[in-house]
Amino acid sequence: MADPVLSVTNLTIRERNGHILVRDVTLAVPRGGVLTLIGETGSGKSLIAQAVFGLLPPGLEASGQIMLAGRPPIAAGDSRALSGLWREQIMLIPQEPSLALDPTMKIRRQMALAGLDDEAVDPALAAFDLPVHSVDLYPFALSGGMAQRVLVASALGVGAPIIVADEPTKGLDAERVTQAIATLRQLAAAGRSLLVITHDRHMAEALPGTLAIIREGVIVERGDSARVLAAPESDYGRTWLEADPRHWSRSARCCDMSDLALSAHGLAFGWPGAPLLFKGLDLHLPRRSILAISGASGGGKSTLADILLGLRRPLAGSVEWAGADIVADPSAIRRFRQRYQKLHQDPIQSFVPHLSLARQFTALESVKTGLSVARALPPLLERLKVKPDLMDRLPREISGGEAQRLALARILLLDPTVIIADEPTSRLDPVVQRETMALLRQLVDDAGLGLVLISHDRALLRSVADDEIQLDAFKT
Amino acid sequence: MNRVVKRMRQFPKSIWALAALAGIAVLGPVLAPLDPTAQDLLRVMEAPSSQNWLGTDHVGRDILSRVLSGAPHSLGLAVLCVALASGTGLALGLAASNSGAFLRAVIMRSADLMLAFPGLLLALLLAGFLGGGIWPLLIGLNLALWPQYARMTEAVATGVLRQGHVEAARLAGFPERVILLRHVLPPVLRAILPLATLGVGQAIMSISALGFLGLGLKPPTPEWGAMINELLPFLSEGLIQMAAPCLMIFACVLSLTLAGRALAARMEAGSDG
Amino acid sequence: MSVAKATNTMLRVILLRVGQALATAALLASLCFAFVHMLPGDLALRVAAARVGDERVTPETADRIRREEGLDRPLIVQYGQWMKSLARGDLGRSLLSGKPVVQELAYHGAFTLQLGLIGWLLSYLIALPLGVFAGFRPGGIVDRATDVLAVTLASLPTFLVGIGLVTLFALTLRWLPPAGFRTSAHMVLPAVTLALSLVAFSIPIIRNAVLEVRAAFFMTYARVKGLSPPAAFRHHGIRNAAIPVVTFAALQFAFVIDGFVVIETLFNYPGLGELLVKALIARDVPVIMGAGLVIGFSFAIVSLTADLLRLWLDPRALEAVRV
Repeated sequence: MADPVLSVTNLTIRERNGHILVRDVTLAVPRGGVLTLIGETGSGKSLIAQAVFGLLPPGLEASGQIMLAGRPPIAAGDSRALSGLWREQIMLIPQEPSLALDPTMKIRRQMALAGLDDEAVDPALAAFDLPVHSVDLYPFALSGGMAQRVLVASALGVGAPIIVADEPTKGLDAERVTQAIATLRQLAAAGRSLLVITHDRHMAEALPGTLAIIREGVIVERGDSARVLAAPESDYGRTWLEADPRHWSRSARCCDMSDLALSAHGLAFGWPGAPLLFKGLDLHLPRRSILAISGASGGGKSTLADILLGLRRPLAGSVEWAGADIVADPSAIRRFRQRYQKLHQDPIQSFVPHLSLARQFTALESVKTGLSVARALPPLLERLKVKPDLMDRLPREISGGEAQRLALARILLLDPTVIIADEPTSRLDPVVQRETMALLRQLVDDAGLGLVLISHDRALLRSVADDEIQLDAFKT
Repeated sequence: MNRVVKRMRQFPKSIWALAALAGIAVLGPVLAPLDPTAQDLLRVMEAPSSQNWLGTDHVGRDILSRVLSGAPHSLGLAVLCVALASGTGLALGLAASNSGAFLRAVIMRSADLMLAFPGLLLALLLAGFLGGGIWPLLIGLNLALWPQYARMTEAVATGVLRQGHVEAARLAGFPERVILLRHVLPPVLRAILPLATLGVGQAIMSISALGFLGLGLKPPTPEWGAMINELLPFLSEGLIQMAAPCLMIFACVLSLTLAGRALAARMEAGSDG
Repeated sequence: MSVAKATNTMLRVILLRVGQALATAALLASLCFAFVHMLPGDLALRVAAARVGDERVTPETADRIRREEGLDRPLIVQYGQWMKSLARGDLGRSLLSGKPVVQELAYHGAFTLQLGLIGWLLSYLIALPLGVFAGFRPGGIVDRATDVLAVTLASLPTFLVGIGLVTLFALTLRWLPPAGFRTSAHMVLPAVTLALSLVAFSIPIIRNAVLEVRAAFFMTYARVKGLSPPAAFRHHGIRNAAIPVVTFAALQFAFVIDGFVVIETLFNYPGLGELLVKALIARDVPVIMGAGLVIGFSFAIVSLTADLLRLWLDPRALEAVRV
C-alpha cells in the first residue's frame, strides 16, 4: 500500500455526550484499487463514509485526519474544507439512491446538472444497462437498483478519482446484488479508486483488493480480501464467517409422513385482475420437521402464509389442520386457533408498543385456559436465554434478537402444533440469525412442532430445512 | 407524592392556563358579583368603578359579571362541540377501518365531501334557517368538524391494524373487542388529543364569530361574541368594556393552541422512540 | 409513465374533480331545499310576511302566494322544479329587494372577489419573505418572532384582529376610515385584517416547506455533485418547497370564506358575506340559497385549482392518483 490515494488516520467519532461510536480508525484506499469495509448494522461503518465527506449528522463530532494524495491533510471535523473536495476529488454513491434524486425533476436534467452533457448521457446509460428512455422519467418511476445505476453513471461523469459507495446493496434482492457488484467492478475497471462500505459478504467476496472488518466502531481485522475471507485471524472474523448459512452443517432429514401437522392440496390464489400467484400447490408438513418456502419478493410467500394460518381464503384448494379442512369448514379455525401460530418478520412490531412486555404476557391468561404465565414463563425464558428483567421494559427498549426470542416464548406458551415463520431473521445480524435458527431447529425437534420457514435466502433455507417448496414453480 | 409532583411537572405549562380557564367556565356564574342580565339604564357605558370593576355596557349591565357568566356558554359549548365531533369522528373512523371496502368508501367519501364545505358556512346556513340558538351551532359545527377526526382515526387505526402485534393477538385468540381497546384505541386517542385541543380553540372562534354576526346564541345570553357584537357601536367610548370579552377569547384560544402544539410535539417525540 | 398517459391521467383527475364540485353544489342545493321545507310553520305565510310585511299578511295573500309559487304541489315536484331552475341559472328574486338573486350575487360577489384577492395577495407578500427567512435560519430571531406572531394571530378570531386594527388606526390615530367601501382607503383595513388572519397559517407552512427541503438528502447530494448552495436551492429547492406552499395557498383562498363573512360585516363592506348575513337575519330564503351555492361552488373550484397545481408541480402526485 505504497501509494494510498485516500487515507483516513486515527478517525474517532463521538456523540456530544462523549459516547464513542468509531474509535481510532485508520484506513487507506490504494490508487486504482478497492478497499471494502464490512460490518454489521450499527458497527459505525457508514459514519466513516459520512465523516470522509464532512456530512456527519448533527450532534456527532469527528477527530483525526483525512488526506488525499498530494494534498495537505484535513482535520476530520472540518466540514467546510472537506466539502471543497466534493466532485473534483471524491464522489459519493449514497445509501438510499432514491433520496439522492430530486423527485420533481427528470433524470436527464439531473444528470446534466451533475455535469453530463447530452452526448455523454446515452453512452453512460448504455454502459450501466439502463434503458435509453429512463432519462425521461421522474425518479419515482425508477426502481432502487435503477436509481443507483443512474447515480453511478453520473458519478463516472464527474472527474473525481475516488468514489465512496455506501451500502450499495441495501434493500436489493439477490439478482440485483449481482448487478450492483458488476456495476462497482466496472467503476474500478474505469480506473477509479473505490471505498465500498457494506454488510453483505457476497459483495465482499466479489470485490478484489483489501478487506477490513469493523465491529462496534473498531477495525478488528484487515488484509487481502481473499486471505481474510478464507482464513480470518480474529475471533470475530471467524464467528462472522461461520454465520454464513452456506457454512452451516446440514440438518438430518426426518419426516414421518403419517403424522402430519399441516397439509394443503391444490391451493390457488391471485389478486383480482392479476395473474394467479400460484396454483395447484400441495404441501405436507410432518411434526418435527421444517418446511422451507422460497420465492421472489412479491411472489406471494406471505399470502401463502396467511392462507395456511386461516387468515385468508384461497381461490381453490384445501388446507388441513389436524385433519380438518379449514377452507371447507371455517369453524375449525376457531377450534384450533392457538395451535397454528406465526413468527413475524419484525419482532419488535409484534408487541403492542405502549404496554410493558410483562403485561402483554400476563394478558395471555385470558385467552388460554389453565395457563399461569408466572409459572410457565421463567423456565421458558431460561431455555430461550432471555434475561427475565427484560419483561419490565417496553418493546422498543429491547433488541431485535431479544424481541424475536420473546415472540417465540409467547407462541410457545400457547402450546402450538405449527409455527409459520415469515422471514424471521431477515432483520437480524448474521450471528444472531444463526443462533435464532439453531434455536428454532432445537424447538422443532424437542417439542414435536412443525415449522414452515419462509425466506428469500435460499442458502439459509437449504441449511436448516428438511424439505423445500419453491413458490415460483407454481406460477401460472 | 413525589411521583405525582414529577408527573405534574411534565405537563406543558399551557395546561395550567387551561385548568384555570376551565375553572372559570365551571365557577364563572357563581363568581359573578352581580346579575349578568340586570339592566340599569341610568348607568350605561360607565367606566370601571368599585361597583362595576370592568364598567357597564350600553344598557347598564355589569361587564365583569357578563364575561364570567359567559364562560360556560363560549368555552363549555366549544368543548361540547368538539367532544361530539371527535366522538362522531372516532366512531366512524374506527368503523371505516374495521369494515369492508364499501362501508369504508361510504364513510371516507362523506368525510371528503364534508371537508369540501367551508366549515363556517354550514353553521351559518343552519343558524340562519333554524333561527340561532344552541342546536344549529352544535349540529353545524359537528357536521363541519367530524371529518378531520374520522380521517385521523381511520389513518392511525388502519396503520395499527396492519402491524404484527394485531395479527399476533388475533392468532392467540384475543377477541376483536380486546384488540380494539388494547391495541387500536390508545394510539388513536393519542393522535386525536392534540387535534381536539386545537379544535376547541377553533370552535370557540367559530362560536364567537357566529355570536358576533348576530347568528349565534341570542341576547341577552352573555356569550362573548354576542357581547362584542352589542358593544361594537360603542367602541370609541368603551374600550375597556370591549377588551374584556376580547381578551377572554384570546386567552382561551391561545392556551388551547399552545397546549395542542405541546401535545402534538410530545406525540411526535414519543413515536420516535 | 408516458406523456400521453400523464395527459390522460390529468384529464381524468379534472373530470373527477369537476364531477365532485358539481356533486357538492347539488348537495348544497338539496340541503338548502330541505332546510327551507323543514322549517316549522307555513312557508307561504313566511314568504308573504317577507313580501308585504308581518302586519298586512292575510290568509288570502298566503293562498295567492302558495298558488303562484307552486307551494301547494307535492314536495318532489317542487324539488324537481327547484333543481331545474337552478340548472338554468335562475335563482329567483330576493324577497327583500325584489331584484333577481343572480344580479345581487354578481354585484356583491365582485366586491368580495376584490377584497379576497387583495387580502390574499397581501398575505403572501407578508408571509413569503418571513417564512422563507425563518426556514433558512431555524431557531433564529426571525424564526422565533414569526412563530410568536403566527401563534398569536392564529389565536385571534378575525373580528378581533379587525376590531384591534379599527381601534388603533381608525379611532385612535384617525389615519383610515373605520367602515365603508367608497374609496380605496376603505379597502385598507379589511384587506389587512384578512391578510393577517391568513398569514397566521401560511407562515408556518412556508417555513416548514423550506426547512424540509433544505434538509432533504437530494439537496446535500446536489452539492456533493458540485453545485454551489445557491445553485442547489435554485435548481432543486424552490420547486420542491413550492409544492406544499402553492397547494396550501390555493386552498387558503377558499378558506377566505371564514374570514370575509365576518370582515365584511365588521367593516360594512357590501360583499357576498355581508349579503348573506343580512339575508340570514331577514330570512331572505332565495338570497341565502344563492349565496350559499355560490360560496360552496367557488370553494369547490378553488380546491380543484389547488389539486391541479399540485399535479402540475409534483410528478409523484400524478402517479399516486388512482381514478
